[in-house]
Order: sequence, then structure tokens, then C-alpha cells
Amino acid sequence: MHLYTFLSLLLIFGPLIFGLLVMLAPGWRYKTPVIVLSALTIMAGGILLALQGPFTLSIDSGLMKALPLIELLILAIIIYIGFAIKKMLIIGLGILQLAIGLISDMLPHSVQAHVPTLKVDLLAVIMVLIVSVIGPLIVMYAIGYMKRYEVHGPEQMRSTGLFFFFLIGFLGVMNGLVMSNDLKLLAIFWELTTLCSFMLIGHDKTEDAGESAYRALWINSLGGAALMLASFLSISASGSASLDELVAVGSLLPLALICLAAFTKSAQLPFQSWLLGAMVAPTPVSALLHSTTMVKAGVYLIIRLAPGLGGTRMGQVVAIAGAFTFALASAMAISQSNGKKVLAYSTIANLGLIIICAAIHTPLAYAAAILLTCFHAISKAMLFLCVGTIEQGIGSRDIEDMEGLMRKMPITTVIAIIGMVSMMMPPFGMLIGKWMALEAVIMSPLVLFLLIMGSALTVVFWSKWIGRIQTVAYHPVYKIEDVPFSMFATKGVLLLGIIAAAAVVVPLFKRVISPMAMAMFSETVVTSRSWDLMNSASAFIEWPLFFMLALVVPVLFLVVRGIKKSHIRQPFLCGENLEGAKTTFEFRTLMDKGESARIRSYYLNPLFGEAHLTAWANPIAIALIFIMFGVISK
Amino acid sequence: MNCREKSPWIVHFNCNSCNGCDIEFLACLTPIYDVERFGIVHVGNPKHADILVVSGAVNHRNVRVLKNVYEQMPSPKAVVALGACGATGGIMADCYNVLGGVNQVIPVDVLVPGCPPRPEAIMDGILQAARLLNVHQKDRHAGAEVRLTLQPVSEPEKV
Amino acid sequence: MIMIDPVITALLAIFAVPFIGAFLVGLDRKLTARMQSRIGPPLLQPIYDVIKLLHKEPIVVNRVQIIYAGLHLIFMVLCVVLLALGQDMLMALFILAFSTISLILGGMSVRSPYSRIGSQREIMQMLSYEPILILMLVGIYLINDSFMARDILASGKPLLLSLPLIFPAFLMVMAIKLQKSPFDFSTSHHGHQEIIKGITLEYSGPFLAILEITHWYEIFLLFFIITMFWATSIPVGLLIAAVCFFCEILLDNIMARLTWPWMLRFMWTVALGLAVTNVLWLYI
Repeated sequence: MHLYTFLSLLLIFGPLIFGLLVMLAPGWRYKTPVIVLSALTIMAGGILLALQGPFTLSIDSGLMKALPLIELLILAIIIYIGFAIKKMLIIGLGILQLAIGLISDMLPHSVQAHVPTLKVDLLAVIMVLIVSVIGPLIVMYAIGYMKRYEVHGPEQMRSTGLFFFFLIGFLGVMNGLVMSNDLKLLAIFWELTTLCSFMLIGHDKTEDAGESAYRALWINSLGGAALMLASFLSISASGSASLDELVAVGSLLPLALICLAAFTKSAQLPFQSWLLGAMVAPTPVSALLHSTTMVKAGVYLIIRLAPGLGGTRMGQVVAIAGAFTFALASAMAISQSNGKKVLAYSTIANLGLIIICAAIHTPLAYAAAILLTCFHAISKAMLFLCVGTIEQGIGSRDIEDMEGLMRKMPITTVIAIIGMVSMMMPPFGMLIGKWMALEAVIMSPLVLFLLIMGSALTVVFWSKWIGRIQTVAYHPVYKIEDVPFSMFATKGVLLLGIIAAAAVVVPLFKRVISPMAMAMFSETVVTSRSWDLMNSASAFIEWPLFFMLALVVPVLFLVVRGIKKSHIRQPFLCGENLEGAKTTFEFRTLMDKGESARIRSYYLNPLFGEAHLTAWANPIAIALIFIMFGVISK
Repeated sequence: MNCREKSPWIVHFNCNSCNGCDIEFLACLTPIYDVERFGIVHVGNPKHADILVVSGAVNHRNVRVLKNVYEQMPSPKAVVALGACGATGGIMADCYNVLGGVNQVIPVDVLVPGCPPRPEAIMDGILQAARLLNVHQKDRHAGAEVRLTLQPVSEPEKV
Repeated sequence: MIMIDPVITALLAIFAVPFIGAFLVGLDRKLTARMQSRIGPPLLQPIYDVIKLLHKEPIVVNRVQIIYAGLHLIFMVLCVVLLALGQDMLMALFILAFSTISLILGGMSVRSPYSRIGSQREIMQMLSYEPILILMLVGIYLINDSFMARDILASGKPLLLSLPLIFPAFLMVMAIKLQKSPFDFSTSHHGHQEIIKGITLEYSGPFLAILEITHWYEIFLLFFIITMFWATSIPVGLLIAAVCFFCEILLDNIMARLTWPWMLRFMWTVALGLAVTNVLWLYI
């Protein structure tokens, strides 16, 4: 057996077995080492696989014959869940998928020997690396988080074993999804991610959680049905269920169906509601869903299909839909004061951005899509872990309540600030990605306009949030927070990752991603304009940036050190500062009473309020999906 | 340093004045007197200011505010007291709630006499204070700077 | 200018630009004074002010705000350097935006209500002008097929002829960036009492000087972009810049300050409308 065969088996089935072990292990004393060991194993496997490089793997046809049975089993579970929670919609979608699956199984479909079942190209390697390096970190974070969660939460929340089974198993499912080249196999993993997320979102067993889990299930089942239909169409048309073949043939209807499936999974408008609802779950779940798994499956698929979309009218519509999501989700994020919801909208927006880049399909856009996928995963994972810690620390996820957080949880606050800064400022990768995206879409006016508006809006909610949590009082007394080691260490590792990634972003782009994009387009015809853009982006001179930063950091450090205690004065409150006030918003008012000034952030609710923006954005988004299907016939 | 004389930024604080001095002070900013030709800028807060211009007599209610505003100015800094009230408490000196002139509370560099002083006199006072800023800077480097000890002021007696 | 060694160009940009900016600020104050029938301060007044501020006691409310002031300056310098080296304009504009974000974060890092209000208004200002700046670059790209500043300077046709509507939109953006009425919400260049200097309130002494120097770079940058609209002939470009400069000051002196919701509406309808219209016909 080759090393890569072993590694791919380890990465796909290993997590399921590990998850089972964790579930069976009694008590935290045994659970903790098993979780840590399995997380480290997955991580090592992922890194080894990345060092191994791209490969393909064919599974013999005997095993492939078992696929329909597994598929049947999963759909049966979904239909059972539908009966259990008494939702006709789930049952209906389940039966629909079952019917499509059965019909397509009956079609004569030859498993060609030369088409590999698992195909791990560079893109898949990057995805595997994201899943199996960041994912296990989140799992390890969950150790500390769930210990506290168990104590504080109500009785019914204590099914921690099952929780870890799905959390770890999710990684294996996601690995399988990004590796598989066979549409049937892909659909199975797709359904499994849906199931996993259903179980994880519903973990709390409250009414809210049940409602959100149900919504996630039906929306993603809709996507699953679209995917099944695409595979049926592909098999009936060309007799092959391979993803490669589908892209090469380039028949648009299956592509459009897969795009629809990707939209549901990546929570693009109008399907965003499931991801927003998913916020009720414990934070490790949100972190996993938002950064490495689930939503990334959708954009991964679109990047995979990009060669089929590029240059078509449908590709244009997909890009417009992505851009629409980017702009609108960013606008809605401004009106939110719930920290997790802001993060959720930001995720939706960034996924839209990646979809734009994939659908535009020029070398620069392709490179931007990959960069954004990587950097978004790492930054968002860290931000969610931070918000989780903050929520447990102050008992609220409202941004307004995070005032003065620097005093209560200084370390978490600093990590969170760096995380947010990495979402928008240089020298971090998200900015480089956004810059490349803007240059890449220059010839599509509508996409460009939405992208410009969206990126202006993005800055608003990040800077508002950073401003809120970082305010430091006059002569502050810091209280180092008490955070479990696992929660603290995982954030530390992610922070180091972000900083390291920022340091290598330019070489990474020039050495790895740019050649990857070049190789991708070596056989396709692209306009000279897109090559020019690619070349000028590659020729970007980064030395002034790094030179300046290297120069400034020590100088600033010296200046900060030079500030004596006597130089620190109270803020100006018209001379009415309260003596001995520590939080410094207090001032003296009539009758010598102390009163506190309170400045709320601008949420611009009349302009960007979630309810009324959604009311007209969703119909437009639905219309865009219809247009996507409509342009096929042209 | 010459630049310090050429750009005295002032903050104005009204300590219980009858507004006579304030009106004359504001007249300095009008085109007729145009203090900006000397580089004088009337900034609104002590953090940016070099010279504190105080009008009126200090009383129990505002002594705390006056000290606070003075404390929040970065050194070197100077104080100009306007009018008779600023110098000694003027006709208010014997009031039950009045502490006296500004120099009872913070070190005053220039007293501008008059009730109210003419704008020309105010301008002259500010420019003299600006020249004194150099002296204060030297004192600061020699470690001879005047620092207030901010102690809670005794509350006014209830009548 | 671009032909010279890039390091020399960069150094020239770093050290010469603030003096030009200071001169422009001095001219601004002088002209404003004359419009108000005053004599006004000497032309070198901004330099006196900054030297004075640099020698003052470095008082702060907390140490974090110093870092943000430093970042504010450094991003601005970087933006000027990138333009001087003829680099990607889009990246330069992004970096300009980060300079402003640093200022906002610095203003929000202190627990002072006035500073907080000023910072929030500054965010709104950014929200209203940022799309217009990027649309301007899109327009420039569509004409020159390049985002590189050196290609734009080397192009044979004045941009103004192709971007007649984006130009006034840019002037409105400039009024915001120069803190001129009716757009001086976060901090006013002349009205020192309005929310007590807002976003810059808690900076004093040398740190205020840093903000002032950054503003000099920014002014130069804005007029450099204006000149770029007629890059084929430098004297004409400078003449246009001079006229614009005069108009901005006139506007400042005759307009009252309005509210930020008004600004957001105005910029997103009138200015953005102008920019979009202009870009649209370039696409067709």
C-alpha cells in the first residue's frame, strides 16, 4: 500500500474512528488524551499528505458497487429524522433525493479505469491542509470550552460524547469531500456534512436550536437534491460520474445545479438564514462550520468547477450573485450588534467574494480565490474562538457589552484585535486577496460596483468592533483572564499562524499560488488583459511595505517605552473628571453626582437594518438563481 | 526656541466671570484684532493648548475644574488671568463662596488689568506669556517645574 | 522622476513632500484669513506649530494611542512612496484607507466621549468617500489599461477629458479629506470648538504633531492626484490644482457645517452617481 493511500484512508476514515473512541471514552480523564491524540494524528496526516504532493487514486469497482447502499442508508436516516421531528419538508426532500439516486443507480454507468475516484490535485491539497490543520485546533479548543459549557448549561446539553463524535467525524467527511472526484462519492460526503451539521447545530436541544438545525437540514438537503440531479444528468448524458469529465464536457445544466448546491452550502443569499441560525450552537461548532468545513465545501466546489464556468454567461451570473451577496451581507453586518452574527455575515460576504473570483476565472481571480480561502479559514477560526472565550467570560455576545473588555480579558482582546485587523489591513492576506479580486473583476461593471460598495462597508463594521473592545482606560488595572489551557493554546497557535502567514504571503503568492494559477490556465485561452493584470500583480514591489514596518515597529516600541507614568493624564471631560475614576467615562454632574457617559456605535438601522434589507434582497437573489438557469438555454 | 513664541495656542476658561472679560477676549479673534497673525489659535481643549486664559474669580465650585484643566495641559504651559477678578477676585473678593484670584489655585504668569481689559491689553498679555513659555521649558529641563498636587477641595459650607 | 533610482525617489518623497504640504496648509490659512478680511498668520505658521508641538511634553491617555498615531503616519508615507515609485494605485489607495483606519482606531482607543464621537463620524466619512475613490481608479484603468501610477503619468491624453464627471466627485472627496465645510464632522481644520476637535482631541504634544505631519502628506497626495488629471502638461496640471485649491477654501468659507447623515446621502447619491455615470460610459 502506498503512503498516500494510507494517508487518504487515515484522513477520511480516521476521524470517524477517533470520534467513536472519544464517544466511548468515559469521563474527561480519558476523553481529553484521546481527543488530543486524534487531533494531532489528523494534523500530522494532513501535513504529510501535503508534503507528499498531488496524487490520484482509483478504488476498484467492487467497492464502488457498495456506494448506492451507503447512499440509501444516509437518505434513510434523513427521512427518519424528517419523521422524528415531524417535518414534511425534510421527508419530501429526502424522498426526492432517494428517487433521483435510485434512478441514476439504475442507469448503465461504466466506471472507467482511467478516471480516478479520488483526485488530490494542488487545490485539494490546500483544502486538506486547511481542514486537517485548523480543524483539529478547533477540536482541541472544544475540550476546554465544552468542560465549561457542561457545567453552566442546562441538563439536556450534556451529550458531550456524541458532540465530539460529530465534531471530529466532520473533519473526515470534509477531507473525503475535497478528495473525491466521483460525483456519487461526492454526494455521499455532501449528505454526511449536512447530517453532521444538523446534529451539531441541534446539540443544545432547545427550541431555538431545534428550529435552526431543521432549517440547516432542509436548506442543505435542497442543495443535496440539486447535486444528485446534477450527477444523474451527468451520468445519463456522458455515462461518467467523474467531476473532471463534467468540467471538461462543460454542459451547463449540471454545472448550474452544482452551483445551486454550492450556494446552499455556502449560505449565499437567499440561503443565508441557516448559517445565521447555526449561531445558537456551541462556539466550536460555529468556528468549524465557518472556517474549515461546511461553508468551504460550497466554494471549493465552485473553484473546482471554475474552468467550466469561465467565459460563459452563466459564469457571469454566478459572479453577480456572489457579488450581490458580498455587498448585501456586508451591509447587514453593519446593523448587527451581536458579535457572532457580525462574524456570520462577514463569512457569508467573504464566501461571496471567493465565488466571484472563482466564477470570473482569470489567472488573477483564481489566485485570489485560493488566497482568500486560506486566509479566511485561519482568521475566521481564530475570531470565533475568541468570541467563544469572550462569551464565556462576560456572559454576552453583544458588541456593546464588550466595552472595556481590555480590562477584563486583555489577552483574548489583543488576539481578537489582531484577528480582526488581519481581516482588513496590510500586510495580512485577506487584503491582498481583496485587492487582487478588485483588479480581476475590472471588466465586469456590475460585479465591480457591488464589490467596491461591499469592501467599503466591510471596513465599517470591523473598525467599529475593534474600536469598541480595545478602548483602554486611564491607568488601567488589567486582570489576566482565567482561560483553560486548551482554549488559550489553540488561539496562540492560530495567532502564530496568522502572523507567519502574513510574513510569507508575498512569497507564497509568487512561488506557489501564482504558478498554480499559471499552470491552470496554460491550456485555456484567456485575454491578454487578464495576463497583464496577473503579471503586474506578481511584479508588485513589497519591499517598501516591509521596510517601513520593520523600521517603525522598533521606533514605536521605544516611544511607548519612553512614556512615563506622569505623562499619562485623564481624558478631557470639560474638567469634570471624577477623581479616582478608573473607567474614565464617569464625569461629575449637578449636585456632585457621578454619572457615566455612554457612546453607542452607529448601527445605521434605518439604512442597513437586517429585516428590511433581507425583505428585498432575498427576492433579488432568488431571481438571480432563476436567471442563472435561464441563461443556459441562450 | 523661537517657534514656541510664534505659535501660542490658547484655551479659555471662564471661572465665574461676569462675561465682560470673555466678550473682550472673543473680540481679539475678530478680523479687527485678528490674533491669528501672531500664530495664536483659540483651541477648545487643554490638551492642545500652551496658554490657559482664565477670566473671573475662583470659587469653591469651579476650583476643581480649573485645576483639572490646568493639569491636562502639556508642559511648557503658561497662565494668563484676565481682569480685576482674575487678579484678586475683584468686586467678588469678599463673597462667601469666592476663594480669590486665579493665583490662589494655579501659578499665574501674566495678570491683565482692567474691568474689563481692552483687547489690545489681552493680546499683549498673551504674547508676554508666550515669551515666558521658553523660561518654563528651561525650568522643565532643570526639573524645576511647578506641579500641582491635586487634593480634593473642601466642599462649600451649606448655607 | 521615475527614471531615477527608486531608493532616491522614495527618500525624496519622504523628505520633500511634508514641506510642500506644510506650505499648502500655510497658504490655506493665509487665504482663509484674507477671505475673512484678516491678515492671517505667516506662511510658515504650520511649521512653527509642529516644531513647537514636537518639543512639548508627550502626554497621553494611554500608550495604545501612540501606536495608532505611528501607524497613521507610516501608512500615509507608504502611500506617497508607492505613488512616487509609480506602483499600483489601487494598493496605494487601500493603504491610504488604512492610514485613516489607524486614526479612527487611535481615536477609539481612548475612553473619551468626544474622541469616540469624532471617530464614529470619521468612519461614516470613509464609508461615503471610499467607493468614489475606487471608482475613480476604475475609470483611470479603463482609459489607460493599467493600475500603475507610472503608466498613468506617461499616458498621452489628459484624464480630465475622459473623466469630466469623476473630477467634481473627487473634489467633494477632497473636501472631506481636507476637513473642509460642509464636511468637517470628525474634526475641523478651523473650527476648534466643534466636538472639541473630535478624533484628535486626546492627542497632544508630539503626537498631535505626527497627525499634523500626516495631514501634510495627505494634502500633497490629494493635489498630486488632481495634477494627475492633466498629466500631459505639468503647468496646466498645476494650474488646475491651484484653481481647485482656491475653490476648496472658498467652499470652506461660505458653507455651513451640515450633518453626517446628510453627507452620507449626498455622497452616495450625487457624488457616487456622477462617478458611476462616468465609469458606465467608459465601459460602453
